[in-house]
Amino acid sequence: MSNIIEVNQLTKKFKIQKNASSLRGLFKPEYKNVTAVDKISFNIKKGERVAFIGPNGAGKSTTLKMLSSILYPTSGTAIVNNLVPWENRHQLAYHIGTVFGQRSQLWYNLPIQDSFALIGKIYNSENISFKRRLSKLVNLFEIRDLLSHPTRSLSLGQRMRCEIVASLLHKPQLLFLDEPTIGLDVTAKEIIRNLIKKQALEEETTLLLTSHDTDDMEKVCERVIIINKGKIIFNDSITSLRDSYLNKKYIEVTTDSGEKFRKEINTKKTSAKKAIDELVQKYHVTDLTIENPPMEEIIKEIYSRD
Amino acid sequence: MTKYWHLFLISFKHSWSNKANLSGQLVFLFILLFIYNRLWVVIAADSSTSNLNQTFIWYLLFAEMIILSNPKIDRVLFDDIRSGTMAYYINKPISFFFMRYIEAVGNMSVSFLILGGFGTPITILFTGHPPFEWWQFPIIFTMCYISSCINIIMYTAVGMCSLWLASIRTLAMAIERLAFTLGGAIFPLSIYPEWFINIAQWTPFYSFYYLTVKLVYDFSFANLFQAICLNTFWILLIGFFINIAYHKLTKRINVYGG
Repeated sequence: MSNIIEVNQLTKKFKIQKNASSLRGLFKPEYKNVTAVDKISFNIKKGERVAFIGPNGAGKSTTLKMLSSILYPTSGTAIVNNLVPWENRHQLAYHIGTVFGQRSQLWYNLPIQDSFALIGKIYNSENISFKRRLSKLVNLFEIRDLLSHPTRSLSLGQRMRCEIVASLLHKPQLLFLDEPTIGLDVTAKEIIRNLIKKQALEEETTLLLTSHDTDDMEKVCERVIIINKGKIIFNDSITSLRDSYLNKKYIEVTTDSGEKFRKEINTKKTSAKKAIDELVQKYHVTDLTIENPPMEEIIKEIYSRD
Repeated sequence: MTKYWHLFLISFKHSWSNKANLSGQLVFLFILLFIYNRLWVVIAADSSTSNLNQTFIWYLLFAEMIILSNPKIDRVLFDDIRSGTMAYYINKPISFFFMRYIEAVGNMSVSFLILGGFGTPITILFTGHPPFEWWQFPIIFTMCYISSCINIIMYTAVGMCSLWLASIRTLAMAIERLAFTLGGAIFPLSIYPEWFINIAQWTPFYSFYYLTVKLVYDFSFANLFQAICLNTFWILLIGFFINIAYHKLTKRINVYGG
């Protein structure tokens, strides 16, 4: 399959004023360069679902902004769907969809159906095909009951489902998702992940998903690119990452006396079931959570093995 | 252009449903017309001039239709620019600035029509026949509607100043006050001293408000032509400023991402 994204030595540096808060800064500003993305290179094939993960400030969103034509890079090249994003903003707009978890593309006071109708017009969709497409996505994402509600009255999880539908209305070949599960509860996260994956598989949409939640990549993607301090430190399949670094789980139990116990298990050696059974036998468990190691720990592990 | 037309229609439709805001505007307009009508009736009784209220209340109605229907686009743009939201529209196949402008025109149109539809019979009730001929009404109404659209352009320029200012509230307030005084939004400039009119003539408020609304009591094609020419001049000048600010803004977004 051919590449839909080709990134080569892409770099983004920001110029930040050092003395902005002082009086001196008003007359004699001093700047420093901060490298957000440092000569990264990678390719993504058509139909691939790739997670772009890393801790806060790693450069994930900056990369996504460059690939979705919002930002100009400092140096390097990128080709998205045979177009240079920042030089062909208008043309590329029709081929990509973007969802930014912390920003809404829906009109705050308008009913969802009006926002969708507007987005359809913005992308010059024909009436009949637009209605057919909308109906399909509305069913897929189960949002028919929400259509008459204004955006402001939706919960974060409901809004996120509508945001994803809005970004898919013009049938993009490539979908950029920037932290689509941020701020959602466990159930809502699970629903969003399932829907994103289902849609991508059904329409062979290429996904580039950024997150600092390792569950997002495990549930949705097949390949993972880990970025830290602007550099790519891992670029391989989820299976490879799981085998090498995601074999650790943390089980935390709360007892009826309110005490909490945390146990680390290696899933290669001990099954989660066995570990839970041991804990349940030992304590009067009232609550139980299983967590992946945090992103920072995985990165530390990657560096330590290098 | 169909996307902008659709945007206008949706914004128009949405504004209709905002009944609380519209009711507030109507109550305010009624109180204003009532008080000033009483004021002009008393002044006319003390002076030898008759029908002062007929002239000035109709003037006040049209001036307030322009002022009250202003949808405060400056605040919307301030939020968009300061929060970085604008950056997220840049990769959509629509002009962000034009999108916000059309939305504002849609909101304004509803207020303008409601205020006109409510204010006209109330003013007839207070003053009787207007100071203009009825065939001139659609021309005056259209000119005032165009002035309202221009008013939004002026406040767009204020909103664009968010690029340089940490708060635009003071600037917007100053512009509002200047519109009231130099634009003659309450009293026509013709009652002010000559030196004051000479100063006001050099400002955009003079043509946006006074010259346009003056057609209510001094309708002539010469005055109409003068209003059109001066308004066009100010649109071009303010449009030029907005264009520069918009390019600076997009350049900054391209570099900093919002």
